Amino acid sequence: MGLLTRKRAICLAAFLMGTQAQAAEWELALDVRAVSSDGRESFLDNGQGKLRFDDDHEGIQLGRLRAAWNQPLGEVFSAHVEASTWDDDDKNPIDLTEAYVEYRPYPRAGLRSRLRLGAFYPPMSLENRAIGWETPYTITPSAISSWIGEEIRTIGLEGQVDWLGTRLGHSFDLQLTAAVFGWNDPAGTMLSAHGFALHDRQTTLFGRVGAPQTNPEYAAKELFHEIDDRPGYYVGAQARYLDRAVLNLLHYDNRADPTVELPSIRDFAWLTRFDAAALRIETQNGWTAILQALDGSTYIAPGGYWLDWEFDSQSALVAKRVGAHMVAVRYDAFNVLFQHDPAASGSEDGHAWALAYSFDRGDHWRFAVEWLRVESDVPTRVELLGEPAFARESKLEFSARYLLSGSF
Amino acid sequence: MTAWQHDGKALAGAVVTVEAEAPALPAPAPAHATMDQVNLSFVPDVLVVPVHSTVQFPNSDVISHQVYSFSSARRFQLPLYRGKPYPPVTFDEPGVVTLGCNIHDNMLAYIVVTRAPYFGRTDAGGKWAVPNLPAGRFRLRLWHPLLNEPLEVERLIDAGAAEALVEIRLARPLRPAPLTGRPHSWDY
Repeated sequence: MGLLTRKRAICLAAFLMGTQAQAAEWELALDVRAVSSDGRESFLDNGQGKLRFDDDHEGIQLGRLRAAWNQPLGEVFSAHVEASTWDDDDKNPIDLTEAYVEYRPYPRAGLRSRLRLGAFYPPMSLENRAIGWETPYTITPSAISSWIGEEIRTIGLEGQVDWLGTRLGHSFDLQLTAAVFGWNDPAGTMLSAHGFALHDRQTTLFGRVGAPQTNPEYAAKELFHEIDDRPGYYVGAQARYLDRAVLNLLHYDNRADPTVELPSIRDFAWLTRFDAAALRIETQNGWTAILQALDGSTYIAPGGYWLDWEFDSQSALVAKRVGAHMVAVRYDAFNVLFQHDPAASGSEDGHAWALAYSFDRGDHWRFAVEWLRVESDVPTRVELLGEPAFARESKLEFSARYLLSGSF
Repeated sequence: MTAWQHDGKALAGAVVTVEAEAPALPAPAPAHATMDQVNLSFVPDVLVVPVHSTVQFPNSDVISHQVYSFSSARRFQLPLYRGKPYPPVTFDEPGVVTLGCNIHDNMLAYIVVTRAPYFGRTDAGGKWAVPNLPAGRFRLRLWHPLLNEPLEVERLIDAGAAEALVEIRLARPLRPAPLTGRPHSWDY
């Protein structure tokens, strides 16, 4: 689907480019890390560790190499493509994280509609607001955003209507969103396999979550497949007070048939539903507060026998920006309950603290340092790995990112 | 005249128009003004022009903008691509025209179109003056983008030979000013 969209977009671009002198915009970003970590074997290597870089991945690491392209197609259409490499054992050395065509007509009478077709993130994270769906506050996003980046992508059609109240002399803007999508039926499989994790690695559209599965009976960790031919949907609403406060609500249901299996990836259609709420408040003197909450469930029914994982997470972030400097502290709590039994293998209970400082030097450089501690109680560790259920994992990470951008 | 905020601080940048009630005065001559796009902001943030004025919309940024207004005083849309000049827009109806950019939602500016023979903006001290106001009866209106109350504040002035002094104090605090210093690349 994403590939189809991209090909179509490129054809359309070639057709329209000669007619209008509009600027295509591109970005190229290299993010290099220096990592000190005592993390358990990472979920990216089929372990039960919560961090992207475990104690076998200390030292200099590639954070992300990212290329983005935004191509106006005529006046109200545009195509956007995001490609990344994460330098781990993913299927493809470089792959797409998002690729879509957007239709954004001019507003009329205070209302504006917008359509997106392709592969993109649902409008959910008020934290991941920087380019490349990154968070500007920390290196590692919250458990909620980490999970969205890992398992969730809209591959379909999304429509939005904005009421631009602030353009009509009011203090509020409102937005309604609805989408239908497919090709995301495995969403939930990683949550059941290793629970929540805290990482900035976004699963690519044609890739998988890290290293290949070592156990041939386990699912292939590929998220973007259509399994049951049933489209999912989400609906959302957003209210804004001037440019100071945003409240975002989303209800998501992939409407999967949990009895259907896709043998090629040894995975089921996971029936995943969740509600998400987020609130962001900013002040003129540089303070930002972001509260996020996620509550949902996921099911599979192999042979008609229903297996049930319930999950929830909450996050609170406070940041203070002074000029080009920013300090942020965040707390995350997360919980997965398998078959209503906290001691069952597949359940977990954990929380995390992050403390970060970042500094933007001009338009090109961003430097950040982050301390992250995750404490989690995961009964699966005993059964699968013979490790203690409880783990306290800490990481100190330094990031230097160089961004080049331009237009032509 | 002097304008004060609710808390007693000077109200800077307020648009003041003075129309003659009696005797009538001719509308001012149309002007040619400029509303530029610089570093993802409109410059200036507020422009006051007489009716029938023309406003040029250059684009000093390297990226494209799509300027629009759906205000009843003047509806228009203007794709501003780098290095591609557009003919100026004429503003024939009085009123406040709210400008936005369809690509960059946090861009916001206003063009106030007026029939008033006297108009301007208050300075940092909240002051604005008309030299040599003739004798007569005038309607003074005050408007500010962050005004939280009636859309305009009105006063009737009887100007004689002596100076007519007007003091206006807002009944309510202004709305919070737009945030500054937030990187443009962040989602609004």
